[in-house]
Amino acid sequence: MSVAVKALEMTRQATEAIVKRAETRFEAHRQEIFRSTDRMFAGLLIAQWLGGIAFAFFFSPYAWAGKVKTVHAHVWIAIFLGGLITSLPVMLAWKRPGETMTRHVIAVAQMLWSALLIHLTGGRIETHFHVFGSLALLAFYRDWPVLITGMTTIAVDHFLRGVLWPESVYGIPNPEWWRFLEHAGWVIFCVSFLVMSCRKSMRDMQVMAERGAELEALSENHWRKSSVVDRAATDAGAR
Amino acid sequence: MTPRALAGIAVAWVLAVGAGFLALTIYKLAPAPAAAVAQVWPRDARVARARDRATLVLFAHPRCACTRATIAELAELMARYHDRLEARVLFLAPRGAAADFTATDLWSSAGRIPGVTVARDEGGEEAARFGVATSGEVALYDASGKLAFHGGITPARGHEGDSFGRRRIAALLEGGRADRNDAPVFGCALQDPEPTRLAHADQISNKQEER
Repeated sequence: MSVAVKALEMTRQATEAIVKRAETRFEAHRQEIFRSTDRMFAGLLIAQWLGGIAFAFFFSPYAWAGKVKTVHAHVWIAIFLGGLITSLPVMLAWKRPGETMTRHVIAVAQMLWSALLIHLTGGRIETHFHVFGSLALLAFYRDWPVLITGMTTIAVDHFLRGVLWPESVYGIPNPEWWRFLEHAGWVIFCVSFLVMSCRKSMRDMQVMAERGAELEALSENHWRKSSVVDRAATDAGAR
Repeated sequence: MTPRALAGIAVAWVLAVGAGFLALTIYKLAPAPAAAVAQVWPRDARVARARDRATLVLFAHPRCACTRATIAELAELMARYHDRLEARVLFLAPRGAAADFTATDLWSSAGRIPGVTVARDEGGEEAARFGVATSGEVALYDASGKLAFHGGITPARGHEGDSFGRRRIAALLEGGRADRNDAPVFGCALQDPEPTRLAHADQISNKQEER
């Protein structure tokens, strides 16, 4: 084998090693983001649950009939339905952090919390902002399919409520046929920019991983060379 | 846990949550029984009627959480039609309840709305005169004292937003006509539940017998 071919082969092997190292670094970084975001959402979901219960206890503790009171349905809804929504994603974030299914279940649960909070606050228009806040938080994963899951959950919720109870979605009992397009348009507007941001963020992470891998390889190479020189110097000194 | 078992748990979770939301929707959309509201302003009514414009009477339970949304909707109506409408909010003060029973945030919220007069309905007598049994029920009378509309002004139990009731009142005030003159009402009952009323009646009759 000629020296040139040998040098080429060595370069190819070195490049492959760097690519492999970059992939490992990229995947480790991604996993770190997925796991830390899973943990963040587990905390947020529990906080929303406790907040929902506290809100129900404070603003609608009792239903009344004359002077006779009973615990209001909102309290039971916040405890049991809120607990049910929170249970699976928190369990997955705890037992299976970083897995694809975990973050998709979290996306569904977070959007369901938007719907539940809208109910608990009596349909206040301000609570509807929770939907857009949640989409922004889901972008922390930097994994755009998670945003699609979140958006689909809202779409299904809007479709079903639009059929059963249009006032709760559109604010009026008999909305124009195109009204759903207006709502969907704003969600798509928000999600499309978040998807772009996630994709850009992933590309940046890849570049960072490649640069890191190159630096690591260079530094290892340097260390190998310097250790050979050091060893030769030590041997020469010993003689 | 196998992926199959996990998928099964996820499907069960989706179904359970869906059932929960369905139950919640059914609860929120269940109206109170329709009331036989007085067709003309009752002669013995203690609350005063406006002679030059329409009068809206809202019967409210001072502690009914669902009525918070009704007060918000009333504020919307009054902001828009304050020149064509006077409103009275009558808060139930049940017999035997504490003196501060009506001293709630609902009372102060309603009192802050321009054009609205707030009063106590002692023992629910006024509600009985008007034939109203549910908190959140509105009765709109025209300047001549004839009933123009009755029902709720929220789209569901304790839910703010546009509703058939609000739209019909708006249509009546703007053009004197609406497609219907009623709407479903969502709120707490103004009277004690049946067994309590029966028990109370028993106690009274026992006391009378003792005498």
